[in-house]
Amino acid sequence: MKLQTEVLVIGGGATGAGILRDLSLRGIPSLLIEKGDFLSGASGRNHGLFHSGGRYVVSDPEAARECIVENRILRKIAPHCIEETDGLFVSLPEDGLDFRNRFIQACEEAALPALLLLREEALSLEPGLNPDLLSAVKVPDGAIDPFELVLANAKDAEVYGAGYLLHAEITSLVVDGDRVKTVLAKDLLHGEEYLIEASYLINATGAWADQLLKLAGLHIAMALSKGSMLITNQRLTHRVINRCRPPSDGDIVVPNHTVSILGTTSVRLEDAENFEVTPREVSLLIQETSKMIPAIEETRFIRAYAGIRPLFQSGEKGDDRAISRGFVLIDHEKRDGIKNLITITGGKLVTYRLMAEKTSDLLCRKMGVDVSCTTHLKPLPGAEKPSGLKDRLKTLGKVETLCDCELVRREEVEEALREGKLKNLQDILHRTRLAKGTCQGGFCVYRLLGMLNEWELAEGDSNKILKGFLEERWKGIRPVLWESTVKEEELMEGIYKGIFNL
Amino acid sequence: MHYDLIIIGMGLSGLMAAKTAVEAGKKALIIGKGMGCLTLFSNTIDVFGKITETTRLRDDLSRWIYDHPEHPYGKVGVEKIEEALCSFNTFFRPPYTFQSRNETNSLIPTGIGTFRPTYLIPSTMMRGIALKEKKTLVIGFKGYKDFYSQRLADSFECRGTTLSLPESPSTEITATALARWMEQPSFREFIGTEVKKQIRDEELIGFPAVLGVNDPMGVRKDLEKKTGVSVFEIPVLPPSIPGMRIFNRFKERLIQRGVTFLMGYSVSKATLKDKRCEGIEILHPPVTTSYSADHYVLATGRFMGGGLKADREKISDPVFNLPVSQPGSQEKWFEKSFFDEHPIHRTGILTDSSLHPIDEKGELILENVRVAGTILSGHHFLEEKSREGIEIATGYWAAKQALN
Ligand SMILES: Cc1cc2nc3c(=O)[nH]c(=O)nc-3n(C[C@H](O)[C@H](O)[C@H](O)COP(=O)(O)OP(=O)(O)OC[C@H]3O[C@@H](n4cnc5c(N)ncnc54)[C@H](O)[C@@H]3O)c2cc1C
Repeated sequence: MKLQTEVLVIGGGATGAGILRDLSLRGIPSLLIEKGDFLSGASGRNHGLFHSGGRYVVSDPEAARECIVENRILRKIAPHCIEETDGLFVSLPEDGLDFRNRFIQACEEAALPALLLLREEALSLEPGLNPDLLSAVKVPDGAIDPFELVLANAKDAEVYGAGYLLHAEITSLVVDGDRVKTVLAKDLLHGEEYLIEASYLINATGAWADQLLKLAGLHIAMALSKGSMLITNQRLTHRVINRCRPPSDGDIVVPNHTVSILGTTSVRLEDAENFEVTPREVSLLIQETSKMIPAIEETRFIRAYAGIRPLFQSGEKGDDRAISRGFVLIDHEKRDGIKNLITITGGKLVTYRLMAEKTSDLLCRKMGVDVSCTTHLKPLPGAEKPSGLKDRLKTLGKVETLCDCELVRREEVEEALREGKLKNLQDILHRTRLAKGTCQGGFCVYRLLGMLNEWELAEGDSNKILKGFLEERWKGIRPVLWESTVKEEELMEGIYKGIFNL
Repeated sequence: MHYDLIIIGMGLSGLMAAKTAVEAGKKALIIGKGMGCLTLFSNTIDVFGKITETTRLRDDLSRWIYDHPEHPYGKVGVEKIEEALCSFNTFFRPPYTFQSRNETNSLIPTGIGTFRPTYLIPSTMMRGIALKEKKTLVIGFKGYKDFYSQRLADSFECRGTTLSLPESPSTEITATALARWMEQPSFREFIGTEVKKQIRDEELIGFPAVLGVNDPMGVRKDLEKKTGVSVFEIPVLPPSIPGMRIFNRFKERLIQRGVTFLMGYSVSKATLKDKRCEGIEILHPPVTTSYSADHYVLATGRFMGGGLKADREKISDPVFNLPVSQPGSQEKWFEKSFFDEHPIHRTGILTDSSLHPIDEKGELILENVRVAGTILSGHHFLEEKSREGIEIATGYWAAKQALN
């Protein structure tokens, strides 16, 4: 099939979806292509910290400044994706107070509101903290829901005329002289081939950026770093808890709806596709974070997962092509003589909008059009309604819930199904909170598949899909199987291997 | 209070031990936290699923046992296994009984559209075996989210339909609620009429296994009368109504015969001395009660039942702290694929051939304690499809030997 567009955006993470919205608000026709569902990359596998800038304020003031500005903007345009919890930077006896003093000073210089709390004050705000702590500094950190955020961007872009193609991978970039002339893509679910003609291409593939460029015979120097995280079965603190020391392994605990997420590690990787959380990482995360919150030693975990960050070697970082040290924006016309290709990678979820703005600005200059960005002013769809959990609790007991852990209503899933465009199970799981709770989908995915049959939406063998899901689920659960999760697992095996002989 | 036998654990193995004791004229006490995995997973009696559906189970099993002397079945032996199964069967009088078909395994349809090999089948499920040969209609209920008739119909290549129920007080329809309603004639009247409207040329009707707790055959008969078609039950997600039938039957009969039931309690302390258990304590705050017996059977199940406990380093038995075979460090407990055979499932309490707990060197640990059920080491009931068989055989044999 032949497709034509002005701009082809490659990658359906926060950056790609943000660019798609930015361009469509500027009236530039564009199409996004993503090899999985939205959020299959780092955008769906991160910590969910709504950065205040505190984490970089000492080490990288420029990145911190970007976070500070974007933090304020996102509170206005995407309040429904954000939980304003505040964050504490906790100093433990072994940390001393040197770093804390530098931290406070750096906050002052960056105009980042920071409040020093004494031990008793910190403990009265968060009784779960290590009672031996020396002090804590409060900053406007929060929690962000990447799923809501990315899907809202995509939805709005669609309203303004943009298109997107999911489960389609770019397989070939044909360079002719100084341009990428044609693009080949493949539908990964049905095998269909697309031939795409686009005047401009934006490579927003995050950790896969170099891999994509290789298709055009180009190369950027980047390395991959895996970060692992653990999800607890309950929320441990109200606020984000950071360790007040230079960033290192296991120094942060971010609340997220009804759970907390411990992070993170940093391990070099060769391959962006095959990775898992190792037992060593699990132990390290528990050992380090429990120094801040002792109850973590005894806590039950429901899942482990990891995401990949692209790292840039000095050549790319800080040179004239990199607008900021937080992310990398490359005009391949200047760098490699390819006129219609731009790469944007690195950065943070929190700076996705800024990255989209800078990319779209560059594109507009290349196209010779003069329209300015409005994404910092225009709220995302859904901004007017309050966020989900309270609503869910209100309706408890009155309606049919498909997922008892996360109180996902059957209607909610039906609504997602009605909106269409869902090609497989993962798509539905991304769009609801199904399978995110304690049983990790052990019950509700069975129910979901039953519902799909009722709706005559089931494609192929449901039991094969279920098996595939159970294997995916297993990857996240296997690293945290001890104490009561072993019981939960016995239940699941008893059902699927026992009663159902799957 | 002193007893002949105290049984810790109220799953199928514990219940079988209590039955065996009371039938030998002994005074027995059974203590349990809850109804055990029986009411979650058990529908039929799996004995050994790894054999074909054509040979006699007994023949294949004796061959297999010969090669697996360390398996709980190896310790009990084919003869006693059969004796135990017979003993189980005597608690179920027609019309609701457990039968094998030609003493072989049969494949019964499950609530997910697969077939499962199993041995003793309750009367309400027997006809499901014919599903492949007979035109079948599968019935689901709107709002009952653990059973999807359309999905089954797709897998079984038959027809499925979902009935809307009359206005119910709660919109959450569970297996337990359905089973209760099924016992009401007016509800059956409604279901019968609705199902009849849906029947085209089907000869069989499959329901989720919710046809009442107390008189499933009565419920079935009435539905068959109203629809004119044969009815069978299909095993579904927990809880298991057929499992509750087994539990209730045991409880009723055992209490009648004088077994003391302590349900909702767990052992807080065991006093051990000179290779003997001298007594146990049960804490029910603020009261602690002590009990003693000549013999004890430990039948506390695996992780869900609380028989085994896994902290991050090691697996242990919280009641007697008996040696448990260890599957290595935590990262070795589970394999990479969910569907692999996980080493953790082979762990359990080590015993000698008479089900006495022993240590790694084979040294006897407690001479008046026997171990029964899935807590034993050396089996893999999920892979083998042997859950109920192991429970029934070892529960029976542990009590038999203790009271010999
Ligand atoms: C462990 C970890 C923790 C983090 N924590 C935070 C945090 O707490 N707060 C925060 O703000 N940021 C955090 N980040 C950073 C943030 O997640 C990323 O910066 C952001 O998600 C990047 O988005 P992206 O769209 O650029 O990349 P991605 O989300 O990775 O998107 C790239 C997409 O491109 C697709 N793709 C690749 N190749 C192709 C192809 N050939 N054809 C089609 N599609 C293709 C991929 O499938 C993928 O979906 C964290 C990152 C990691 C790794």
